[in-house]
Amino acid sequence: MNATIIFVLLFGLMLTGMPISISLGLTVLTFLFFMTDVPTIAVALKLFTGIEKFEIMAIPFFILAGNFLTHGGVAKRMIRFATSMIGHWHGGLGLGGIVACALFAAVSGSSPATVVAIGSIILPAMLKQGFPRPFGAGIIATSGSLGILIPPSIVMVMYAVSTDSSIGALFIAGIVPGLMLAVLLIGTAWLYAKKRHYPRMPRASWVERWQAFRESVWGLLLIIVVIGGIYSGLFTPTEAAAMSAVYAFIISTFVYKDLTIKQLPRVLKDSANLSAMLLYIITNAVLFSFLLTSEQIPQAMADWIIGMGFSPWQFLVVVNVILLAAGMIMEPSSIMLIMAPIIFPVAVKLGIDPVHLGILMTVNMEVGMITPPVGLNLYVASGITKMGLTALSKAVLPWLLVMLAFLMLVTYVPGISLWLPKTLGMM
Amino acid sequence: MKVLDYLEEWLIATFMAAATVIIFVAVVHRYASGLAIPGLQDWLIGINMSWAQELCIYLFVWMAKFGAAYGVRTGIHVGVDVLINRLNEKVRGRFILFGLLAGALFTSIIGSMGANFVWHLSQTEQVSPDLELPVWIVYMAIPLGSFLMCFRFLQVAWSFLRTGQLPQHDHGHVEGVEEKPEDMLIGEAVEEGEAIEHDPGHKHGGEPGEGRK
Repeated sequence: MNATIIFVLLFGLMLTGMPISISLGLTVLTFLFFMTDVPTIAVALKLFTGIEKFEIMAIPFFILAGNFLTHGGVAKRMIRFATSMIGHWHGGLGLGGIVACALFAAVSGSSPATVVAIGSIILPAMLKQGFPRPFGAGIIATSGSLGILIPPSIVMVMYAVSTDSSIGALFIAGIVPGLMLAVLLIGTAWLYAKKRHYPRMPRASWVERWQAFRESVWGLLLIIVVIGGIYSGLFTPTEAAAMSAVYAFIISTFVYKDLTIKQLPRVLKDSANLSAMLLYIITNAVLFSFLLTSEQIPQAMADWIIGMGFSPWQFLVVVNVILLAAGMIMEPSSIMLIMAPIIFPVAVKLGIDPVHLGILMTVNMEVGMITPPVGLNLYVASGITKMGLTALSKAVLPWLLVMLAFLMLVTYVPGISLWLPKTLGMM
Repeated sequence: MKVLDYLEEWLIATFMAAATVIIFVAVVHRYASGLAIPGLQDWLIGINMSWAQELCIYLFVWMAKFGAAYGVRTGIHVGVDVLINRLNEKVRGRFILFGLLAGALFTSIIGSMGANFVWHLSQTEQVSPDLELPVWIVYMAIPLGSFLMCFRFLQVAWSFLRTGQLPQHDHGHVEGVEEKPEDMLIGEAVEEGEAIEHDPGHKHGGEPGEGRK
C-alpha cells in the first residue's frame, strides 16, 4: 500500500516536468510528513551525509577529465590513429569512427561527451567523402554509447554507490562486453557499407600507422593510468579519476596545446555545473532509497517476487523491459539511482551476481541513450548533423537492433561480464 | 545581483580546482614518501596528508550545493518533459510554473530544516574527524545552498512569468568544440585522406584503395 502511494506520488510529480531531483525530494518529504512519524530533521542530515562518500567524488573528477579531453586534440589524434588502422576496409572512415569512439570511451566516462568529441570531427569528414548522412549519424550516435560501458564510466560509479558494489570490479567487468559491442557495431557497419559500396580509404603504411600511434599515445596512456592504476591498486577509483583530470589538463594544455589557460575557468565552471546537477540527483536519490528502506519496500518486493515463483531469467526479462521503457523517457543517471536500490535486493535474493547486474543495467542505459523520445546521444548527434529526431531514430535502427541482441546476450550469459574480473581475482 | 552571480560561479570553479589539486598532491605525496631519498623522505613523512580525503569531500559537497543553485540559473536540472511538451502552450506554462514553485518550496523547506539543524549543532562542541573543523560550519552548506537555490527558482519563475523564457541547457554542447574553426579540424582529417587517395605513390607500397577484402 505504502509502496503504491510512494510510486504514484513520484511518477505524478515527475510527469509534471519538474526536475527529477526535486520530485524525488518532494515525494520523500510529503510521505514522511503525512504518513509517518520519522523526524524530518533526519532528512536534513541525510542531505549532507548522502553524498559524504569518497567513492562518489569520482564523478566530478571524471567529468572534469572528460571536459579537458573534449577540447579536440585527443579525439582528433585518436581518429587519425583509428582510421590508419582500419580505414581501408569497407566504409573506412565510419569504421574508424567506431574504433575512435571505443578508444575515447576508454578515457572518458560519459556517452554524450564521446559523441561530441568524436562526432563533431568525423561526421563532417564522412559527409565530404560521400557517405550518406544517416549512416554517419547512426554510427556515431550508437558507438558513442560505448562511453558508459567501456571503463571508466560515470553510470557504473552511480550503480556502485547505490548498491555498495566495487567500482574496480565493475570497471574491469565492463571491458569484455565493451570490446564485444564495439566489434559487433563495426561488423554491422562493415556489412552495411559493403552492400552499398561506401567509400573506403587507401591502406595506410605501417610507417603512417606508427606515426599516428605516436601522436595519439599521450591520450592512450590515460587508459593505462585509469584502468591500470585501479587494477594494480595504486589508486582508488576516486584517486584515479583525480589523476586522470590532472593528466588530461596537462596533455591538453602543455602537450597538445588545445586548451589555453584562459579557458580554464570556463571548463572548471561547466564541469562544476554538470557535477553539481548529478550530485544533487544523487543526494535526493539517497533520500528516496532511505525512505524505501525504512518502509522495507525492496524487501517486500523481493519476498513477493520470490513468492510468485519467478525464476531468475523471468525476472531479468522484466528488469530489461522496465529499464528499456524508462530509458525512453529519462536520462541514465536518474534511472540508475532510482532503479538500482529497488532491483538490487531482489536480484541478490535470486542469486544474480551484483557485478553482472551492474553491467546488464549499464547496457540497458546505453540502449536508452539512443531510443526516442529522450535519448541524450540522439540530441547530441542531431545537434552535430542538423538531422531531425525522427530521421535520426530511423538512422540508428540497424545498430539499435544489434544492441538489443547484445543486451540479450549479456543478460543470459553472465560469463561475458564476470569472466575477466574473476580471472584477475577481483571478485 | 551581478556580484552574487559572480561569487557563485567563482566559488564552484575554485572548489572544483582545489579538490582536484588536493587529491593529486595527496597521491603524489603518498608515493613520493615511499622513495628512499635521504632528507626528502623524512620531510615528506613528516607532512600529514590524512585530511585530504575529508577536505575533498567537503569541498565537493559545498560545490554541489552552490552548483545546484547555479544549475537552476543555467537550466541544467533535467525533468521528464515529454508529456507536458505535448500540451498546448498555456497549460504547459502552468506546469512549468508549478515545477519551479515546487522546487522553491522544496529547497526552502530543506533550507529551514538545515538552518535549524546547524543551529543545534552550533550549540555543541562537535568537530569533524580529521580536519577538526566545527561541524556546524561544514553543514552550513545545506541552509546556504538551499536558500540560494530557492532564490534562483523564484528568480527563474519570475522571469518565466514576465518573458515566457526558460534558461535552456544544451546537453549536447561541450565547451571548446565549437570554439575552434571546425573547418580546420575536418579539413585536416579529409586532407589527410585525400592526400593518400590522389597520390598513388604516397609512401605506402600496396595498390591504393584496394586493401583487404
